[in-house]
Amino acid sequence: MTKARKSTQDDESGLDRRKFLKGAAAAGAMTAAAMTAATKVAQAAEAKPAKPEGEANMRGDSFIARPGSDFMLDVIKTLNIDYIASNPASSFRSLHESIVNYGGNKKPEFLTCMHEESSVAIAHGYAKAAGKPMGVLCHSSVGLQHAAMAVYNAWADRVPVMMFAGNGMDANKRRPGVEWTHCVQDPAGLVRDFIKWDDQPASLQHFAESTVRAYKMAMSPPQEPVLITLDIDLQEEAIHGEKLSIPKLSLSAPPQADERALREAARMLVAAQNPVIVADRCVRSQEGVEALVKLAETLQAPVICTGNRMNFPSTHYLNLSESRPGLVRNADVILMLEVQDPWGMLHGMGDPWKDVRRAAKPDVKVIQISLADFMMKSNYQDFQRFQPADLAISGDSQTSLVPLTDAIKRELSSARASEFAGKADGLRKRHRDMKERMKTAAALGWEASPVSTARLCAELWNTIRNENYCLAVSDRIAWPKRLWPTTKYTNMMGGSGAAGVGYSAPGAVGVALANRDKGILTVTLQPDGDLCYAPGVLWTAAHHKIPLLIVMYNNRGYVQEVMHLQRMAGLHRRDPKTAKVGTMIYDPEVDFGKLAQSFGVYGEGPISDPNAVGPALARALKVVKSGAPALVDVVCQLR
Amino acid sequence: MRIALVLAASLCAGAAFAQDAPKGSAERGKKLFAELNCYSCHGTHAQGGGRNSEPPIPAGYPWQGFLNQLRKPRLDMPAYEEKLVSTQEVADMFAYFSSIKAAPAEKNIPQLRNF
Repeated sequence: MTKARKSTQDDESGLDRRKFLKGAAAAGAMTAAAMTAATKVAQAAEAKPAKPEGEANMRGDSFIARPGSDFMLDVIKTLNIDYIASNPASSFRSLHESIVNYGGNKKPEFLTCMHEESSVAIAHGYAKAAGKPMGVLCHSSVGLQHAAMAVYNAWADRVPVMMFAGNGMDANKRRPGVEWTHCVQDPAGLVRDFIKWDDQPASLQHFAESTVRAYKMAMSPPQEPVLITLDIDLQEEAIHGEKLSIPKLSLSAPPQADERALREAARMLVAAQNPVIVADRCVRSQEGVEALVKLAETLQAPVICTGNRMNFPSTHYLNLSESRPGLVRNADVILMLEVQDPWGMLHGMGDPWKDVRRAAKPDVKVIQISLADFMMKSNYQDFQRFQPADLAISGDSQTSLVPLTDAIKRELSSARASEFAGKADGLRKRHRDMKERMKTAAALGWEASPVSTARLCAELWNTIRNENYCLAVSDRIAWPKRLWPTTKYTNMMGGSGAAGVGYSAPGAVGVALANRDKGILTVTLQPDGDLCYAPGVLWTAAHHKIPLLIVMYNNRGYVQEVMHLQRMAGLHRRDPKTAKVGTMIYDPEVDFGKLAQSFGVYGEGPISDPNAVGPALARALKVVKSGAPALVDVVCQLR
Repeated sequence: MRIALVLAASLCAGAAFAQDAPKGSAERGKKLFAELNCYSCHGTHAQGGGRNSEPPIPAGYPWQGFLNQLRKPRLDMPAYEEKLVSTQEVADMFAYFSSIKAAPAEKNIPQLRNF
């Protein structure tokens, strides 16, 4: 009380906020600069106790000597989180203020977002490119509801996100009206089916321990989002009467598959005549890509990449992803590496009659290395249909690649190694033929207007081919995977995970943010329907100066749904001409160039002339290389 | 590849060839192609591309196979009955498809040389 009144006098006599904070620091609080050192200490050594601060707040106080949210930020800083994406909200106003003033708005920096779904999708894309999570702040009620679909995407894509949701647990302290509508008894209940862990800490010490635990869990494969609830009173009340400490963060080593199981897998693969490797969310880094190359080369086994991660270079002759049907059909052993849908790899299903077609030999032997058993929950069905395996191995695929390769080498006789080496020429020819087929197919409709998707992707490649590039969202349009030379893990960042529309734009912004300081040029092929979900993310990119080349794949509709309606009309023996109703985005057509400009982003278009695409992309690239986002609206063929 | 399979199946089903098709109007066929939303899979200029990376009817495609594919399609394509699309209209679309110029050879496209 006395201290608070003194602060009031200082303030009135001209002390600014920064000086006030320094005063608080002198009394024991940590400044942002001090925190940098503290972060290192906390991560490198034993837990660092925080000094008890001030006194409990009471009615009549004018100031809070050191709010609990300052300590919360101290905890977050120890986790080396660079950014916190958020749409501002009152339930975390205290932590927000701590971030920008007490923390100096650095590590983490507050990213201003215009939708909670954008916040989480930015964090989703960022985590894949940065290799570590971003924080997200939202209301526990209306904010988390907005965020929920993006959380599900991150869950399905196995990506870590550190979520924080503001909430007021003590009903006695809730302000009447809106604060009640924004408080929840069990906030995480909304998303618990698709997050790895959550907690609602009741004290600051509880917050410290649960936040460090949450980060550790999020980063342990299978990586997933986690959620910590931020109690309003814990944030806003002064730290008092507590001995606080921040636990040391120590990440768990990823779980490697059992050695005996890997030996058995090696025996099966060495004995196989036509082994095939299927890699889904297999690797998390270039180290993983290189390990998979060594495995495939040791076996001379072709690799099918599903596109959810850049597992294997497209330039390598063993990458035969576009020849999947033939490879699966002829395989006698298939090694599935963190494959989300093993059943779907071996079967097809007709639509709408649901007739099952076997895509593989009836006696094909299946080896699965996966952590799927460790993340499965009951409600949401992203785990796909059950597929028995001849050898099911629980383990992190990337971590298990090297020991599996070593086991194969031990099993490999010199005679067998020679046989494997003899396959190389044939596989090289097959790879060349596959590439030629793709180029021939890309030529179809080359001069068409609207622009063909193949032409668009070829023009974009020719614009960026001398850059260290990253395609931020690479799962929806097949042509880059078919045509572009990819050699690095960072070249392609996969997709949304759960096919929840609205990921592409914010996900790309998150990827571009992570790449900004690495010298990697980020480009994205942006579907129009997706951008219409939450276009405010363009403003976030402009405001935070995130360089990103956005190339609109503008087919003016939700075209997959057009096709569904056509099929339904045919089945119902009714008019197929109505398939545009409710599916197409025209009358009026959206002008995405102007939309971008309105958010402060360089924008061009709409472009329908295929010969105008290349020059427009070159102009936009200059803008991006200057450190800003740019958008080129290209009106495209529907598929 | 999928289209090629369809083509092969259609060839078995009907042995008629392009010259057996009723006389059609390419102009009307193009208009109908748009109205029926065929372009959502086959491209605005019926060139294929995108998910279906081959055109709907390669050169020499038989009329009867084309008609069969519309009436009783294989794979994912919807069925178009006589009451919805008359045989004359199918012939118009067939004429349109037959009039489409072949794609340029990829070796003659500079942008594809870098792959």
